[in-house]
Amino acid sequence: MSQSFILRNEERGHDLIKSDGSRSSYIAGHPDGFVTRASSFNFHEYQGGRPGFGTIRVFGDEVFHGAGCGYNMHPHHNFAICAFVFGGQLTHVNTAGEGMVDQLRAGDYYVFSAGSGGKHSELSITTEDMQAIYLWVMPEQLYLPPAYHRGHFDFRRRRNEIVMLVGDGDGALPIPQDLRVSRLIADRGRSFRYAPRTASHGAYVFVREGRIGCAGEELGYRDSMGLSGVAAVDIDILDDDSDILIVETIMIDEANIKTWESEHAGH
Amino acid sequence: MADEPYKRLMCLGCGFSYDEMLGLPEHGIAPGTRWADIPDDWVCPDCGTPKHLFEMIVIGYATGGADMARNA
Ligand SMILES: [Zn+2]
Repeated sequence: MSQSFILRNEERGHDLIKSDGSRSSYIAGHPDGFVTRASSFNFHEYQGGRPGFGTIRVFGDEVFHGAGCGYNMHPHHNFAICAFVFGGQLTHVNTAGEGMVDQLRAGDYYVFSAGSGGKHSELSITTEDMQAIYLWVMPEQLYLPPAYHRGHFDFRRRRNEIVMLVGDGDGALPIPQDLRVSRLIADRGRSFRYAPRTASHGAYVFVREGRIGCAGEELGYRDSMGLSGVAAVDIDILDDDSDILIVETIMIDEANIKTWESEHAGH
Repeated sequence: MADEPYKRLMCLGCGFSYDEMLGLPEHGIAPGTRWADIPDDWVCPDCGTPKHLFEMIVIGYATGGADMARNA
């Protein structure tokens, strides 16, 4: 059975989290720093929307404002956390393996599988705003050995093709889940077809920049759409330099999501 | 109730997991403690996320994972 939903930019959860008061241990950059976060799915304070999609629990479109802003050192387990950097610089201190300090700029991305436990801190240390999309995915197994991988998407060369960044494809970063993340930067007038691996896989299509036709619906800046049970997703590029992320995930049988969908049927 | 299989739950704020069979002895919760018997004002020991924002999961452990979870 095919299902789909559209989530407009303004329908996401929009939070502005300042580094002050009780939040100053969570958000770095006191006193001027703040993080803006637009959540596609319920996360922390934002609980007014969808619980998730397939194995995805967090899809956060975030900006760290002000030098020194970001997240102080904090622990994780189990989640596979990906960050895709689009602007500024992300300094990532992570305890996985021997521990490391990584610096990511536009086009860089990482996959941090927290597994049996890890800690990390993420900071923007330059004056330029750091822009990233965070993706949190349920793991295939609990308490896996923690792992960290990083990659780069060459947005100057790889235009007008769907490039797999995370998943089982050539050169893609591994993730302990039946999931693929692809990116497409394309010119107006081009058309693409994305085929999920099976009918049990869904696709979450997010327009970071530009405008597209997606399965017959028009999606603009920061609009998104989730589709499941479809053989293919047709994408028509309506604006130059459209920048799209596609997350393909196995559609696990999840009670919270099903309950939410039945309560919101027809909306 | 006694025949009810043990449940696992995961914190949606950080990924910390709770396993009814294992409990959290390090945090004063005995093995076998049902999720329903944990107070409503209990929060994730790692990130402070409230109990109602844990999700029930059906995910198995990686090799050796259950022993590590026992001591989380
Ligand atoms: Zn937590």
